[in-house]
Amino acid sequence: MTAGPDAREKELEELRAAVRDFLATHTSSLDLLGAEPGGAAHDPRVWAQVAEQLRLPALTVPEEYGGDGFGLVELGVVMEEMGRALFRAPFLSSAVFCVQALLAAGDRAACGTYLPDLASGRRTAALAVGEQNAAWDPVLVSTRAGRGPAGWTLTGRKLFVVDGAGADLLLVVARSVAGPTLFAVEPGAGVRVAPMTTLDLTRPMARIELAGAPAVPVGREGAGARAMARVLDVASTALAAEQAGAARQGLELSVGHALARSQFGRPIGSFQAVKHACADMLVRVELAEAAAREAALLHDAGDPGFATAAAAAHAYCSRAAMDVAMATIQVHGGIGFTWEHPAHLYFRRAKASQLLFGGPAVVYERLLERLGI
Amino acid sequence: MTDDDFAAEARAFLDAHAERAPARAVRPWGEGDDRLAYFSSDPPEVERAAVAAARAWQRTRFDNGFGWLTGPAEYGGRDLTPVHQLVYDALEAEYRVPDTGVLSVVGLGMIGPTILRHAQPHVRARWLPAMYAGDVIACQLFSEPGAGSDLAAVATRAERRDGGWVLDGQKVWTSVAQHSRIGLALARSNPDAPKHRGITAFLVDLTAPGVEVRPLRQMTGGADFNEVFLSGVAVPDDHRLGEVDGGWAVALTTLMNERAAVGGDGAGPVAEALTPEHLAALMRATWTWDDRALRRGLAELLADLWAARALNARALRRMRSGEAPGPERSISKLAHGQNLTRAAHFAAEVLGPRIVADTGEWGTFAWAELLLATPALHILGGTDEIMKNILAERVLGLPKEPRADTDAPFRDLQRASRPEVAR
Repeated sequence: MTAGPDAREKELEELRAAVRDFLATHTSSLDLLGAEPGGAAHDPRVWAQVAEQLRLPALTVPEEYGGDGFGLVELGVVMEEMGRALFRAPFLSSAVFCVQALLAAGDRAACGTYLPDLASGRRTAALAVGEQNAAWDPVLVSTRAGRGPAGWTLTGRKLFVVDGAGADLLLVVARSVAGPTLFAVEPGAGVRVAPMTTLDLTRPMARIELAGAPAVPVGREGAGARAMARVLDVASTALAAEQAGAARQGLELSVGHALARSQFGRPIGSFQAVKHACADMLVRVELAEAAAREAALLHDAGDPGFATAAAAAHAYCSRAAMDVAMATIQVHGGIGFTWEHPAHLYFRRAKASQLLFGGPAVVYERLLERLGI
Repeated sequence: MTDDDFAAEARAFLDAHAERAPARAVRPWGEGDDRLAYFSSDPPEVERAAVAAARAWQRTRFDNGFGWLTGPAEYGGRDLTPVHQLVYDALEAEYRVPDTGVLSVVGLGMIGPTILRHAQPHVRARWLPAMYAGDVIACQLFSEPGAGSDLAAVATRAERRDGGWVLDGQKVWTSVAQHSRIGLALARSNPDAPKHRGITAFLVDLTAPGVEVRPLRQMTGGADFNEVFLSGVAVPDDHRLGEVDGGWAVALTTLMNERAAVGGDGAGPVAEALTPEHLAALMRATWTWDDRALRRGLAELLADLWAARALNARALRRMRSGEAPGPERSISKLAHGQNLTRAAHFAAEVLGPRIVADTGEWGTFAWAELLLATPALHILGGTDEIMKNILAERVLGLPKEPRADTDAPFRDLQRASRPEVAR
């Protein structure tokens, strides 16, 4: 009734249109098809344009650190579009994980040092938490932080580091005597970064070996666990939006195919078996979008229900994206199973995202825990 | 009228006429009534009292200007918007007032707007104020044994006689007919026309001779629905709605006004039973608390319920900003059916033998009632299959299935669908 919500929606749709246009121009399915196991680096020129023209890396960085200070609702719109396009860029890793980790650590000096460069896109950062287990559970961190005469050094091995290869800065959770602590590490002496062969061809991961790597603590020593819990909630919400966007794309690809493909003398989309599969996908997609948006709204409103919402949205959207990715291939039939068709890339992304923060078993327990159950 | 003025007026009315409900708290496990009836399971005298209370509260609303917010003033309405209705509903939820579903779900929500749109002025004046004042309950005489999902296949005959009409046929699955004074009936006025073009809509006085309402007992054991037999029922021509043979357009008006929440999940014991707190209490009471498989089942269910709530919240936001309702309605109905069904089966798994036979423990065997209601959630108000067709065709733009029944005269379709004739 008031102009408020309408104007807000209009701005969000403008943001969506700008991102969608950019991604449509700068990523083609040929890029996607070029994705080969282990060879999924992003194009630095496109990243520079994303930063200069759309200022996307600055989106959620507070204005005092050179950012635009937007909330998770705006971030969600961007993530949905990136999910649709399977955009290959260190956005989730640098502009979401690392920006949020720096903010959550509450270290003003570190924020002042690193955030302006991350916001401008001049540098990218990668967050290294998981080791043998992808779950961001600080209890499982065994990488050690020691303090010597020349300062802190880290020793250990981090796995599954999203966009770790090529990152200009590593934020690493390591264990000091005070407990899990966040550290900043510059790639160089004592740091070996190697890409991992990944299921998801459009989201690279790296293995990072730390052998006495010089490090600077970010935030209070021993406060890494609490900071990571907060980062995880925001990251889960961003990922949920990305999953919803990828699912929306799967639905649209499926509907397009069901209209274009004829068998038995009519479009396969006129058969109820196919039609109902598409309707089921639509239900999934709408619920996923609503769930991701609701979590973002609760975050931006400072609602205490946000932590629950983040876990619920991640749980719901993970399953929705996976179900839709499966159904997309099924509706496409044989063509959907070919290497050339992008359906498998969405399938790969859906499964990898579902497992990114530990997988359903971990997420479901986290949801119950947040509900006090 | 601004939202704030309206809200203040509504608040004053409610304060004067109703008692505030205690702040919504989770009902402690083991206290109070543990029934989980999706359908009513009240004995007749209790149900009669509930209907009387519903009528009385609707009368109070009406006398104070809250009986029909979106209706025109000449029939007792207020000429306000659906947004005002949302504001009012949210406020009223804070008070302890009788449930008026028996009047509102079908009669005021669907039939009223249809009469307003399609009836002659004196017929509107005759029925609308009486309906919104709680005096007249209306039902929907649509479904028939041979016309369920395919509503346009109605076979109840409407024949012209003495300047009016005579109706003969059988309606089925009619909610609230046992309490209703009038019913909106679809009948076949021209069997030689294609099925959608030979139907006429009538407002039938259910006290007329030839109307027989019989309870229809559903699988939960209660009788929430009715069969309505029409045997030579006379209907004056001025109680025809819309054009002769133009009843399909009238039916579409009714169906478009079908409330978002066919069995919505806003409040009540069923909604309460689906809260994380209640489901957790159920697991504690049955010593299944740390069963890993059940915990996972619970979390999965809670995530689904949470997503459905997010969808409803989004729909509400959109409605408040004046947007026309999107596909949420059909999606929300499908999700609600799936979620309630999953919840009932989850509870059954938690309860094990306690839902098979009643041990007398509070809150356990009570789930049997809800479990038995779940098949209906996938059928009533449009089956899942029809809902999916609607989503696929109207939202996604997929083509309709080729049909043989849209252009042929209805009479020929009837013949062709009888196998002994087809052979």
